[in-house]
Amino acid sequence: MSSSLSSYIPVPRSRLRRLVDDLPLAIVVGLLLGLVISLILGRRAGFFENLLVSVMIGIVAYTLVTGVRLLFWDHANWGWRQWAPFVLVVIGAAPVAHFVGLHLSGWMLGVPLPPLSSYPSDERFRLIAFTLIGTTLAVILGMYRDSLRRTRDEHAAARLRAEVVERQALQAQLRLMQAQIEPHMLFNTLANLQGLIALDPDRASEMLDQLIQYLRATLSVSRSETTTLEQEFAAMQAYLGLMGVRMGERLAYRLELPPDLRTARLPTMLLQPLVENAIVHGLEPKVEGGEVLVRASAVGDSIEIEVRDTGLGIRPGQVSSRRGGGVGVSTTRERLEVLYGARAAITLLPAEPQGTLARLTLPLEITA
Amino acid sequence: MTRALIAEDEPILAATLAKTLQGLWPELEIVATAPNGLVAVELGLALRPDILFLDIRMPGQTGLEAAEELAERWEGPQAFPHIVFVTAFDDYAVEAFERAAVDYVLKPVSSGRLGKTVERLRGLVDAQRMPAVDVAGAESLGQLLGQLQALLPAAVATERLSVVRAAVGNVVRMIPVADVVYFQAVDKYVNVVTAESEALIRVPLKDLLPQLDPAQFRQVSRNMVVNMVCVTSAGRDDLGKVTLNLRGRTDKPRVSPVYAHLFRQM
Repeated sequence: MSSSLSSYIPVPRSRLRRLVDDLPLAIVVGLLLGLVISLILGRRAGFFENLLVSVMIGIVAYTLVTGVRLLFWDHANWGWRQWAPFVLVVIGAAPVAHFVGLHLSGWMLGVPLPPLSSYPSDERFRLIAFTLIGTTLAVILGMYRDSLRRTRDEHAAARLRAEVVERQALQAQLRLMQAQIEPHMLFNTLANLQGLIALDPDRASEMLDQLIQYLRATLSVSRSETTTLEQEFAAMQAYLGLMGVRMGERLAYRLELPPDLRTARLPTMLLQPLVENAIVHGLEPKVEGGEVLVRASAVGDSIEIEVRDTGLGIRPGQVSSRRGGGVGVSTTRERLEVLYGARAAITLLPAEPQGTLARLTLPLEITA
Repeated sequence: MTRALIAEDEPILAATLAKTLQGLWPELEIVATAPNGLVAVELGLALRPDILFLDIRMPGQTGLEAAEELAERWEGPQAFPHIVFVTAFDDYAVEAFERAAVDYVLKPVSSGRLGKTVERLRGLVDAQRMPAVDVAGAESLGQLLGQLQALLPAAVATERLSVVRAAVGNVVRMIPVADVVYFQAVDKYVNVVTAESEALIRVPLKDLLPQLDPAQFRQVSRNMVVNMVCVTSAGRDDLGKVTLNLRGRTDKPRVSPVYAHLFRQM
């Protein structure tokens, strides 16, 4: 369950991606500070040169600080162990960013720059302090945005997880609904068994085997999601065997499974309700009884399973009623919808010359 | 000699019930085993058993329906058979049986439980043998039939029908429900009978019944629902069956014993 669950959770964005994502923020802060310096402090140099220098310093400072943060302290809960070195990084980054940013923009503009020895000056210290303020501002903004993003991602993940759990619960519920053993069927079968023990002990033992196999197949479905056609056909063989003892000459049946489809996988409890419908609504209430044919075949990349009976057939208004094929077929249709969407279908048709034909189409999945 | 008929569609269960009964009651003769509800009625009428074991879920006709039809068609001086219903687990049926105090056994049948039923049946059969209580036997038939009626599926309330649309040739006639004297089931159709006319519709009587006002339209037999406003009087024919005289009609439909209480004096 955990493996299928994790496939629904979005993969976290890479660190590089996150670094690049917030770069526009650094550029905007750099531009703003450049404007402030040019307009308020009235710097002599050209207006655009000032803006470029400011933006370059901003980009370098941002890359340094955020790069270090993402590399070493990329998690949500910060204590003083994280804050103390981070503040030092921010303070240390300011002169480095100023120096590198200034040289980068000088190189871009083709302007000669003062050598490192004459670099320190009063004005430059003021500008470095300015850079520190700008960097601090950008860092605070960036971290705020990060925490917002993290909360949003967590919400989305939680919602997805809830959806997956809900879907799985619905599946399980639908499966259980179909796996219910009708008490009437069970008690009638036990009554037959009781009778056979006195009349024909050998057949009683055979019938008990079939009952065990049927119960095992029906009761274990709540624990597994898929089964193979071979197992499903074996369970149907057991069920039809039980019904054959009960109905005597009124029931004939045939199961046809091509050898290469034996290992085809399908969800549990899809086939059984169709076969039970054929008996309970088609043949059991019919005075003369009749025949059931269960057949699987591969059609392209789908499996087609047919359950054909020569019973009473679909009567008007029966499909929608509670007693009729209704619950079994509509629950099966709902499950197919949840599991396969448009890739699976179930149809119920009148069979010729009489009776009902249920046809189930599923994507073919063969396991080795 | 007491004679019994078993109606059970599953052959092994029929054989098992017969065998268990023979062990518990050696003098009981099992005259036949019916494989479905329709055969049960015909065999019941032909063989006239004293006791009927009726499975509830059978093809063709349920045990309840078979009992009802048999009661309707039962004639002559012989008392109606004692009926014991047999059913596998079925909440609804068991609860109904308890309420109506009808004799029933559950499958798988325990011989202890069946022994008690046999004991009671023996008492009833012996009592009937004495001529003095013959009348009481007839009375208990009426009682059983009243109980049976309570067991039959109740109609579910749906929208009321006010006009019946019946195709006659290529015209659709609109017949106000208030004008209908009775509805009679004929095979898959229902004959809608008014004072002047008759018309067939393709709706089963069972589906029509819930759409009629239950105070005005009453079921009087398995295949007939009568407008009570049109009943002028109820009498008895030569065989002692209740018959109805209807306004505007010359035919006198028979009332099933199950519903005879509707026409008893107040």
